[in-house]
Amino acid sequence: MKARVLDRRDVLKIVDLLRRQGYEVIAPFHGRGRDTFFDIVTDENRERIQIHLPNPYYPPKRFVLPHIERLLKATSNNGDIYIEPTYEQPKRAIFGIRSCDIAGIYHLDRFYMGREFRDIYYEKRRKNLLLVNMVCTDPDEDINRECFCMCADTGPASRDHFDLQLMDLGDEFMAVAGTSDGEAILADALFRKGNEAHIKKRSAILDEVRGHFKNTTSWFSAAVRYVSQGSILDKTWEAVGDRCLECGGCTYVCPACTCFTVSDRQVGPGEIERVRIWDSCALAGFTRMAGGHNPRRAVHDRRNRRFFRKLASHFIQKELSMACVGCGRCAAVCHGDVGMPSVVEMIRRATTENDKYEST
Amino acid sequence: MNPPENIYLPKTAILDRVTDDIADVKTFYWHFEDEADQKAFKKFRPGQFAQVSLFGFGEFPASLPPSPTEDETFFTIRAVGSCTAALHRLKPGDKFGVRGPYGNGFPMEEYYGKNLVFVAGGIGLIPLRSCIVYALKYRDKYDRIQVFYGSKTPRELMYLPNLREWETSAGIECKLTVDKKNSTEAWDGNIGVVGSLFKLPDTHIPVDNTVAFVCGPPIMFRFVIKDLLAFGFQGQNIVSTLERYMKCGVGKCGHCCIGVAYVCTEGPVFTYEHIKKLGEDI
Repeated sequence: MKARVLDRRDVLKIVDLLRRQGYEVIAPFHGRGRDTFFDIVTDENRERIQIHLPNPYYPPKRFVLPHIERLLKATSNNGDIYIEPTYEQPKRAIFGIRSCDIAGIYHLDRFYMGREFRDIYYEKRRKNLLLVNMVCTDPDEDINRECFCMCADTGPASRDHFDLQLMDLGDEFMAVAGTSDGEAILADALFRKGNEAHIKKRSAILDEVRGHFKNTTSWFSAAVRYVSQGSILDKTWEAVGDRCLECGGCTYVCPACTCFTVSDRQVGPGEIERVRIWDSCALAGFTRMAGGHNPRRAVHDRRNRRFFRKLASHFIQKELSMACVGCGRCAAVCHGDVGMPSVVEMIRRATTENDKYEST
Repeated sequence: MNPPENIYLPKTAILDRVTDDIADVKTFYWHFEDEADQKAFKKFRPGQFAQVSLFGFGEFPASLPPSPTEDETFFTIRAVGSCTAALHRLKPGDKFGVRGPYGNGFPMEEYYGKNLVFVAGGIGLIPLRSCIVYALKYRDKYDRIQVFYGSKTPRELMYLPNLREWETSAGIECKLTVDKKNSTEAWDGNIGVVGSLFKLPDTHIPVDNTVAFVCGPPIMFRFVIKDLLAFGFQGQNIVSTLERYMKCGVGKCGHCCIGVAYVCTEGPVFTYEHIKKLGEDI
């Protein structure tokens, strides 16, 4: 690892550097209470950028896959129709994106750009996006009760898929590059060479931080195996379904959910725009066809769908990445406590019933 | 065929003429404004589908009833939602959007030398029409060709001119039935569900070296499958095309995904063997 270091007081100068290079920089801020959010950095709010804070619930996914994204504009004029795609490709950097969300964006990359059909809208935004990863090192601020990146193997420090990674070593920050874009930033005079002691300190801090995660055994591997084999009992899905309030919250906060719906809206006389909007498999209308037939009516079938899509080995093999990154947002927002960690545990518990030596 | 750079971008299509089929169902003959688009589109396979765009209303997936061997391109659409209703309001000369073709389609070449049995109910004949016309065009490539088709009433038989032609042509056995008829309707044909045609004294369905195409409402599908399995059909020799809510048609929006399969890219044509494994209602 070609480690570089910089002084603690200089860390926000990376933001300044990126802004000077023409990037629109997105960074995390405190809202009210424990609420946090990503926002565009301005001269005014630059001082309030947070290095350590609970990861915002509204995931940074929207910078590559906006909540509502315009796909095309169609104008009709004297019976003629002009169809015009609308692309946006802002030069953007996310400063302080967490390791789980790095994995989330990587999953979206695999899904939108790695399959037989490439999504040009996603690709254009993604190609202009620079990711500056901040390793979670502050047990009080960075690590939520729900975090389980340890189980999903995505954190607390990303191993790849970032452009630049920063880690708080105390008086100094350590910086490593993951891409040539990241290397180019490290060439700035802000950074100096790191040494063996920095690397040792990094390992020591990570070892310590790992001990602060409450959720380290979510039995992911067992859940993947059972889901892929189809050996999960119907009553387990029903129990999950009984607790689902069908709000769709889990899917809207998920950094790796990919589903969208498409809608046309009138924007002027004879002028419409077609937009895509995040959609959720938790909602009853997700599979309902015109005419009313809905092949997936029951709540538990829909919950089954979400967890099957995220855990089945078929998709993991196909995408070479898993659609759950261990950020814990679904667990934090779910009113019925059927976020991923709970469901994985329910699967594990239910399957022990099949074990003739364990059941009494 | 390589996918276009922008997979969501429809191309402009022009409506040529509209014909009435049955209540709420019309056939829309159309062509692409750009000749190159038309030429590329005409390479579709029976069983594939397209996304039809009505700007201001949205898009819907539509199966392709024409055979690629026919000159004209057309959709047969029932007005059920706002988007299909908007298509129904179009007049010849009006423009709309089309993109595709999408999906796998029926592997008609793999069926060379086999008997083809088509079983359809109601508007389930729409996607199968493509295969039937295709198979008749390459008649010498296939062994026996049978069509068993039923609708609720005589007024709801789709593609009546085609049906009459198939009933009387050599090289195809076509049997029709209706669930019921009222006293004012002229119908001297069979009355009963599609499966009742299998029991007619002059019906003989070969099982060996045969592919059965089944398309229709879920209830009909279940009963026909039961009959075919009882005749000794293997699940992999029964094929159907699934209908799902779709937004993109290219494996991204997630609506049509059942089990591990995206109906839009891995389907819509599946063998019954495969459908069983997907683990969801038809």
